[in-house]
Parts: sequence; structure tokens; C-alpha cells
Amino acid sequence: MEKIKQNPIVKKIGFNRIVLCGVLILMYILFSVTSKGFAGLPRILSALNYAYFLGFLSLGVTFVIATGGIDFSIGPVMFCAALISGYCLTSYGLPTALCLVISILVGFLFGCFNGYLVAYWTVPPFIVSMASMNIAKGLASVFTKTQSVSWPQAAEAAGWFRKLVKVGSFPVGLVIFLAAAVICSLLLNNTKAGRYILSLGSNKEAVRLSGVNVKKWEMLAYVICGTLVGIAAIFFVGAYTTVQPGYGDQYNNEAIAGCVMGGTSMAGGLASIGGTVIGVFIISLLQEGILALGINKNYQLIITGLIVIVAVYADVVARRRKN
Amino acid sequence: MKKKSSIFASQKVIVLLVVIALFAFFSIVSPNFRQYSTVMSILDYSYYIVLMAIGVTFPLITGGVDLSIGTGLICYSLAGGYLITQKGWPVAAGLIVTLLLGIIIGTVNGVLVSIMELPPFLTTLCTCMITRGLGSIFSKGFGISWPAAGSEGGWFRNIFKITTASGTKIPIGFLWMILIVIVMAFVLNHTKLGRYTIAIGSNKEATRLSGVNVKFYHVMAYVISGFFAALAAVAYSAVFATVQPGTGAGFELEAIGGAIIGGVSASGGVGSVEGSLIGVFVICLLKTGLPYIGLQANWQQIITGLVLIGAVMVDIIKKKKAEVH
Amino acid sequence: MGEVILTMKDIDKSFPGVHALDHVNFEVRRGEVHALMGENGAGKSTLMKVLTGIYTKDSGTITYEGKDIEFHNTREAQDAGIVIVHQELNMLGHLTVAQNIFIGREFKKGIKIDDKKMNEEAKKLFDRLHIDIDPTETMANLTVGKQQMCEIAKAISHEAKVIIFDEPSAALTEAEIEELFKIIRDLREQNLGIVYISHRMDEIKVITDRVTVMRDGTYVGTLITNECTKDDIINMMVGRVIYEDPKTASTVPADAPVVLKVEHLNAGRMVQDVSFELRKGEILGFSGLMGAGRTETARAIFGADPKESGDIYINGEKVTINNPQDAVKCGIGYLSEDRKRYGIVVQKTVAENSTMACLQNYMSGIFINKKAEKKVAQEYVDSLATKTPSVDQLVVNLSGGNQQKVVIAKWLINDCDILIFDEPTRGIDVGAKNEIYKLMNKLASEGKSIIMISSEMTEILRMSDRIVVMCEGRKTGEVKIEEATQEVIMNMATREIS
Repeated sequence: MEKIKQNPIVKKIGFNRIVLCGVLILMYILFSVTSKGFAGLPRILSALNYAYFLGFLSLGVTFVIATGGIDFSIGPVMFCAALISGYCLTSYGLPTALCLVISILVGFLFGCFNGYLVAYWTVPPFIVSMASMNIAKGLASVFTKTQSVSWPQAAEAAGWFRKLVKVGSFPVGLVIFLAAAVICSLLLNNTKAGRYILSLGSNKEAVRLSGVNVKKWEMLAYVICGTLVGIAAIFFVGAYTTVQPGYGDQYNNEAIAGCVMGGTSMAGGLASIGGTVIGVFIISLLQEGILALGINKNYQLIITGLIVIVAVYADVVARRRKN
Repeated sequence: MKKKSSIFASQKVIVLLVVIALFAFFSIVSPNFRQYSTVMSILDYSYYIVLMAIGVTFPLITGGVDLSIGTGLICYSLAGGYLITQKGWPVAAGLIVTLLLGIIIGTVNGVLVSIMELPPFLTTLCTCMITRGLGSIFSKGFGISWPAAGSEGGWFRNIFKITTASGTKIPIGFLWMILIVIVMAFVLNHTKLGRYTIAIGSNKEATRLSGVNVKFYHVMAYVISGFFAALAAVAYSAVFATVQPGTGAGFELEAIGGAIIGGVSASGGVGSVEGSLIGVFVICLLKTGLPYIGLQANWQQIITGLVLIGAVMVDIIKKKKAEVH
Repeated sequence: MGEVILTMKDIDKSFPGVHALDHVNFEVRRGEVHALMGENGAGKSTLMKVLTGIYTKDSGTITYEGKDIEFHNTREAQDAGIVIVHQELNMLGHLTVAQNIFIGREFKKGIKIDDKKMNEEAKKLFDRLHIDIDPTETMANLTVGKQQMCEIAKAISHEAKVIIFDEPSAALTEAEIEELFKIIRDLREQNLGIVYISHRMDEIKVITDRVTVMRDGTYVGTLITNECTKDDIINMMVGRVIYEDPKTASTVPADAPVVLKVEHLNAGRMVQDVSFELRKGEILGFSGLMGAGRTETARAIFGADPKESGDIYINGEKVTINNPQDAVKCGIGYLSEDRKRYGIVVQKTVAENSTMACLQNYMSGIFINKKAEKKVAQEYVDSLATKTPSVDQLVVNLSGGNQQKVVIAKWLINDCDILIFDEPTRGIDVGAKNEIYKLMNKLASEGKSIIMISSEMTEILRMSDRIVVMCEGRKTGEVKIEEATQEVIMNMATREIS
């Protein structure tokens, strides 16, 4: 076992990520064997639809968790962004492109709000999350007068944005998502922002005493998260069309699950975008598999909850062993 | 040296004044608001939030949080209701199952947080999702109506509200709330359980070094929270006609927000049960009152969020001031 | 003095790489105050931790009240009557004084905690100590001095027979120390055995009956306080080490320009009206006892803590430093005494830590130029002789001395001209110490200006060109190396106490 871990190629990719890939493949085989007709492109495309928006949420929250914080307003904020921009499109008739920008803007503003309170006011992240979760739900309901919003279909002129998700059966969304993951990875590992975000997650005071404006960078992590949540909203409506006010919190846990499963530490300072991507695929495949097997979808809530607990516990144990 | 902070500086008193001011404001602006039936409905709406807030005060004081109380409430109520309506269990047995479930989930939270040392907000976020899933599974996805008042087995609804022969409704539930607050305030201030809860929130390591079994008392804080979420489930089932699976998310904010507005510190160590009670009424008044002044009920969600942030900011400013001196 | 109550014989304890206690002997009698002295790192605290069961000894025997004993935790020691009054207080700020004293063993009436009885009992304890504290006051509202009195009351309430005071006076004011001494004398009257750990020579003479001196983990000897002089004790403490290689004359020319000038700096109780100058190429020693306010002064200058008033001039120009960013822009670097908390980011590599303060210089476009980053980190690993397998190593895996070098590299890479070294050799072994000294001399000769805060007299006398001495938040003296002796500095460092 130790030998495998020390192998240079394994080391380069990361042992945990290889194990996760193994889990992903095993799950696929398992579902294919147990459920007739699971194997094949349609199911994969359907799972991918789920992976896009969840992936953007997960990428976003990775930055926040890297600082040692948490954001579980992401699901409702995504719905808020989708509802407000969708309402602008369907009721005010604004051009689609502008509405997509509005969606990203809503996410961005929530990110600013959360980040400002956490970084500059030292409000505990869980309080901020709770508050903005409700503000997002309330705002969306007030804005849409508690009506659900359906985005235009692909055939309509205003529905061109769906090409971002899929053209024919070619998964454009996958290309965009992977490109976004690569950008996030570069951002986290190769830029000043990423370096400082990870460092302050590990030891904020030492970074501050190095003359770094830690508040600014900590806030930036939440802003990046918010912006990605705004993008997630586009992919959500691109795949699922209709959004209802008052919901969205079930996705918090799945996004966080993808993130912590991928090796991002809840204590901050350690994050892996590659791990997050694989984690997201696992959650999406799980969702699709449960659907295909005809299992009550509520089991998914339970399974995801358990996955997070196990992943976080593994991290706690690993850290304890190091000390 | 000042002995005790002056009565007017106490957050409880200020918040109580806010409650009175809010009530006066809505009463003056809207004639419909100042009616007996409105007061009744405010009280009806308040019971389950008050109970959750009392319970969650304990984990909050330890420096943690319990986010599972909202969906937990619905889950416990669905489970109990399912056994009564579908399986023909007696109502008393259904109530016991409801309460037991709350204690079990509370224990699970406590063990995960205290013994396995997982972060409280994430742990309880997970149990929040798990209880939501469990609730829907118990009820097979359908709403469940506990026996109606007056019908056989509907006696438990009279715990919270009695209708006299002349049709007047008497909110005896409110008396229960007062009684429970007195009991839990006693527990918090005058028993080991409460004392150690505060001590853990103040300085866990120092408490451990004093020979206190901190793990046990830390778990107990979450058990209390779970048990009160179950009591809240009983109140919810008694007040509302139907319990819908998939709901309940967001209840916890009203309870936790109420507790924090009432003076519980988000960083632990400080808090009172009576403060949490008063804090909850700020939220209940906003929730009930806003539609009377022409604002959608959803504004309440936004305002609650902002009030919560405001309350924590006040706490932070106070602490910063104390540090300077 | 009564009969012997506690004897520790041939106590031996090793940690990986350090022989912390080398066959140490120590005894306490009833009704005596026994000082345990030695420089930082002499092994006093380790010895007490072995006694109270925090550490397990490797060999040796502990005899207490005629029986051989070994405690496994502080609770067992407490129950047997041996308690420590810690330097850093273990208090629960949100609870009342009485609730703190009886935490974990409350009086009860049925299920109700009997707060009334606890208040009465606490009052009795305070009466016994002749101190006036209201048992119902919230702990956080008390001064540090009063909090310490509560700790003592708590100790006595365990029916203690031996009480260990670990640097009790570090955070106390003069009046509070007087009060503390009164209490200690009372306890001595009551036939308790008292161990008193302190650095303050004057206190030792005033309050103790016997003195046991330790040095580098070994037992040096025990003296009767009345029969010895301050110099006897100092000689035992420092041995001959202190005269090893002291600087005899400043190497800084008299007309060297002033690079940093601090005037009337105020920042809380620990920094009051501090003024001094630092010249180019100079090593300015900051001496003083624990809690003299030296670290607080450094942090205020660096902008790490807010300051109330005072002016800072760099190269003659007045500058505003409100936070560490400003300080770094002014070319100031700060090496904290607590590396792990304030110096390094343990989960990051040597290279990443090295460029932490000036990452903007190692960017190509928006991306970090990792090649350039590693190159410069490698340069400094070579020039500082940092022992690390590569610059990709996580700093958590380096030894203390090498971690310190990484922090130094961080400031050198940022081209800081003014370096504040706060206890640069704390927790570092002797060999690595010498390297750090050589490095500091080299930096000074290259024209860097260094403020060195140190509690070790040896270090101060060996490294400084000039020495500023502080006591209780004030500058109490300044002396050139040519005129500096241990006695001169000690006198200044204790000026306000004696």
C-alpha cells in the first residue's frame, strides 16, 4: 500500500483522487448491472445535466471552505438568481444575454454581502449563511410574486442559452464546466488570490503579519463563490427549465459533499479542484442511479448527508493523526 | 467596579421593548391586527418556534448550533402521525414515538459533534437533510393530518387551545410556554447540566481540566435541542391541520434567530432561555404583522435575515468595545 | 520550616532530541516558600509538569508525605493536595467567581446547585486569604490580579498541601504583587509547602526561604535565601555561559544614520510612552523581564495591534503604520516569538512561505511564476544554510531553527531594512542558535538594522550594540554595550518593582 502511495505517478495525481475515480467507475458498473438500460449515453447525459450546476456550486464553495469558512446559502442563492433573471426574461422581456448577466450579478452581489460580513465584520459564517439563505428565498419570492418561472425552450429564439448545456446530444456544458474547473484550479494554485486564500485558511494571523490584506482576500473567496453560484443558476435552468421560489437548500449539502469528498478540508488551507470535480461526478451519478433504480429520491438526501459526515470525519481523523 | 449591568442595558429588556413597540405599531397602523383572533394566531404560530428556540439555546451556548431542528420537527411529526393515522396506534403512543425520535436524532448530533469532534454546523446541516429524507420516507411523500380537534384522539390539540362552550378560544398553550421557560431557565441557571453547558461555551478545555465530563454534557446540549424539536413537533401537529413532508427548512432560522436576538452570543458562553422566548416574539410579530401593513409575507424572511445579522453585529461591536477597555 | 513533605529524586525526562531533565533533585518542606529558579528553558516547568502528572518521568522517584507516588493527571495530583496556580489562567469568563472556584464539584441541594452555599464557602476562602472579592461577580469583570487571587483560592479549596506558583507576578501590578506576597506568607503560616517559580530576583529575596537553581535541565544546587546574595544566585543560574563571547564594543560608527525613530509610543497598559532610535547596521537589544511590554511594543510598531498615540519616523520621514501592510511597505519585517502561530503557514511549502510578503514580485501576468519563486527560495535556503530536502518541502516538517530561517528568508526576500527579531532563538537548540547569531551579525554588517527582543541575558550581551531595557510597559533605561553588565541591565529591568 505504502509502495503504491510513493509511486511518482500516483503521487502526482494524488492517491485520494485515484481512489475516488475508482469509486466513480465502480458505481457506474454497479448501476449498469443492477438497472436495465442504465449503460448508454442518455443516462450519462442526464447525470451530466445534474453535474453542471452542482459542479459550479461545488467549485464555488471550495474557495470558501479553503478559507476555513462555510457557505450554505449557495442553493437558495442559485434559485434566487435563476428566478430574478428568469422573471426579467419572461415578464419584462429583457434580452436573454442580459438576463444571464443579471443571474451572475445576483450571485456576485450575494457573494459580496456574505464575504463583507464574514471578513470585515467577523460575523460567524454559519450565521451569515443562514441569514442570506433566507434573504435569497424571500427576495426571490417577493420579486416573482411567489410564482414559479419557466425559462424558454430550446426551439424558441430566447432559448439559445440552452446551447451552453447541450447541442444535439453533444454535452457542451461538460466542456464549459471542465474549462471552468481548469480556470478555478489555476486561480487557486497559480495566482496571488488562490495562494492567499489557501494560506489564510491555514494560518490567518501569520499571513496578516506578512503584510497581506487578509480581509480583502477572504472576502474575495466569497465573491468568487457567489459568482460561480450565479453561473450555476444558468446551467440549472438550461437543464431543468422551471424554478420555484422557496427551494434550493437541498443542493447545499450535495455541493459541500462533492467538495469535502474531493479532499478539501473543512478546517481550511487544503483544497483540490480536481477532487471536487470527481466528487461532483460521483454525487451526480448517485442521483441518476437512484432515479434509475426507482428508489425513493429521499434516500439520496440521507446518503449525501452520510457521505459528508464520513468524509469530514476522515479529515478530522487524518488531522488528529498528523498532530 | 460596577456590580451588575444596569437593567436598561440588558438585551432582554431592550428586546422586550421592541416586541411591545412592534405590537403597538401594527395595532395602530392596522385595525384588523388589533383583534383577539390575530393575537390567537400569533400565539398559535409561536409555540413551535418558541419550543425550538428554547432547545437550540443550549447548543448555541456551548458555541455550536443545531440546524436540524426545523426539518427534524417535520420528520418527527410525520413519523408519529403516520403511526396514528395509518397504523391505528393510540395517540399517546404516537406522541411518545415523536418525542423518542427527537431524542435519538439529538443524541446522534451530540455524539458526532462532541465525541467525533465534527464541526457542528456541517454535522447538523447533514442531519437536517437526513431527517428531511426520513420524514418523506415515513409518510411515503404524502401529507399527514393528525386527528382533528373534537374527533376521537384529537384530545392532544386541547393541550394548546381550549374552545369553551361559548366558542371563545383560550390559548392555554401560552401558559405552558411560560411554565417550560421557567423550568428550562432553572435548568440552565441552577443545575449542573446548565452550568456545564455555559462552562463548555466559555472555555471547554478549562472545564475539562476541572474534572467535568465535558463530552457527556456537550452531548446533552444536543439531546435537549432534539427533544425540544420533538416537543415543537407536537405543538406543530396540534396547531396545524396537516403536516407536509419536505417542509421545515427555514424553521430553524426563526428559532436560532430568535435566540440570538434574545441575547444568545453566536460565539457561545452567553444566553438565557427567557431571552430566547422574547426574541422569538420579535420574529413572530414580524411574520404575522407584515401582511397587515400591505407587505408580502415573504418580506418577513428578508427582514428576519437582516435582523439576525444586525443582532450579531451588535454583539460583535459590544465585544470590541469591551476589549478596548 | 517543618518536615519534608515532598521529595523528587533523580528525575529524568527526555523528549525527542532534548534531554529536558537530567537527574534533578528537589524537595519542599511544610511551611516554607521554596523558589525554583533558572533561565528560560532550564527545565523548571517540565519538572513541575512531571510532578503534577502532565508528563510521565523516565526515571527517578517522587516521595510525598512519606509515600512513593506517581500521578497520571492533574486531577489525581489535585486530589492528593498538590495544585498549580498557572501563569495563564484557566478561567471561565462567563461564570461568577464562586462558580469558577467550585466548577466540577458544585454543592447541591437535590438537583439544584446551591449557589448560596458556594458563595458563602468562597467568601470563607477569601476571608482566610484576607482578600476582598465579591464571589458573585462575573469572572471576566475582574482584573488579572484579582483573577489570580481566585485561582489561588481555588487551589486552597482543594485542601492543598503543596501549592506551586508558576510565574505568578508576570501580569500583576506592584500593588497586586504586594497583596500576593501577603497571601503567600499567610499560607506559609498555615504550614503549606509552597513552590515559587519566578525570574524576578528581588521577589526571590523578599518572599522565599530557600532557592533551588536549575540550568539546562540539570540540578545546580539549593541555597538558604537569607545566607546568599543575589550574585550567588545569578552565578548559579548562568554558570559560565554568560561570559562566553560577549560583544565588547559596538561595531556601528557613531555617525551612522538613524533609520527608525519611535517617539512617545502608547498602546495599552503594556506600552507607555516608549521612545528610541535605531541606527543603520545596528543590533539594538530589547531586554526586560517577562511581561515587560517588549513584544507589545514591537507589535505596535509593526501595526499588528492598534496604537493610541506616538510617531514613527523612517529615515527621518514620518510614516503612518496602521496595519502590517503599511509596515511591510516601509521595509519593516517582524519575526514573532511564536513562529507556529504568527510566523509560518505550516501547510505550505518552504518556497510558498518565503515569498509570502512579496508575492507581487514573483508574478508573470496574473499567474505566480513558480520557477522564479522556487529559484529565489533556493537562493535563500543556500545562503541561510536552511536544512530542507527541497523548497517544495512543507515547513511543518522542518525543525524549529530551520523554520525560523524560512521566516527570516521571507523578510530578506522582501528586502526589509529593519528587522524585528522577537526571541529569535526560543525553542531552538544550541547549534542552530549559533547559526542564527552569525546570520544576524552578517545582516547587520550588510547594513540591515535589527531590533532583537530577548529574555536571555547571554543573548543580549553577546549580540547587541546598544540595549534598551523595559519594565512594566515603560522604557526604564538605555545602555551602550561597552557599559552594559548583567547587573546594570537587571537593575533597570526591575527598577519599578524594587
